[in-house]
Amino acid sequence: MPDKLEITNNIRTLRFFAHEMTQQALAEKAGVSRQTIIAVEAGKYSPSLELAFRIADAFGVPITDVFGFEKNEQK
Amino acid sequence: MLSIVISVLVVASYSIYAFGKAGMEHVNDLQFWAKTILIFIGIGIVAMIILQIVFHILMAISGAIRQKMKNDVVDEEEIERTMRVETSEDEMDKMIELKSNRFGYTIMGVGFMAGLIAIAFGASAVAMLNILFFSTWAGSFVEGLMQIRYYRRGV
Repeated sequence: MPDKLEITNNIRTLRFFAHEMTQQALAEKAGVSRQTIIAVEAGKYSPSLELAFRIADAFGVPITDVFGFEKNEQK
Repeated sequence: MLSIVISVLVVASYSIYAFGKAGMEHVNDLQFWAKTILIFIGIGIVAMIILQIVFHILMAISGAIRQKMKNDVVDEEEIERTMRVETSEDEMDKMIELKSNRFGYTIMGVGFMAGLIAIAFGASAVAMLNILFFSTWAGSFVEGLMQIRYYRRGV
């Protein structure tokens, strides 16, 4: 059984450095609802690859600057 | 949320009507029960449409009030844009719908099996119709609950 991956993100930090971009503004740029951005930012929803790229594009950074992962070892 | 409210309202009003005087007078009248169930399904659909319209109106009004409090002006384009973003279904909504639908269909399936088992054990066709009707709305109710759970706790 492979290790479980926990998807992490830096959306809050990136929003701060983008002149405190609101979740609403990011949602509009990424073409999703504010609810979805809130869930992604809180780590409650792992976005599709397409949405992940759109979020990265909204900040103008590579996808690896927005999303990362941590390995949780299976016992 | 709407499906929870509607399913509770429809089941409650159906129970009051069908298991009250009207139902007792037509205990074995299959036609009466079929008509009653069809009418209540229709009521449920109409109520869902009306509640959705009211919900959208309230959302637009609250958006306008929020803007007025923040900027002292109401920008209709901004409200329209916000409404479009908030009401359109995106990938997370679709994922939540898919996952919660599974619970609804399972309950409906169990209801169908329960109906067949009831018939197999000698219950009347009216009992089966009622089991099917209740399991359909129970499925819708649980579907709504699961949606709330997924939105709150994550997918």
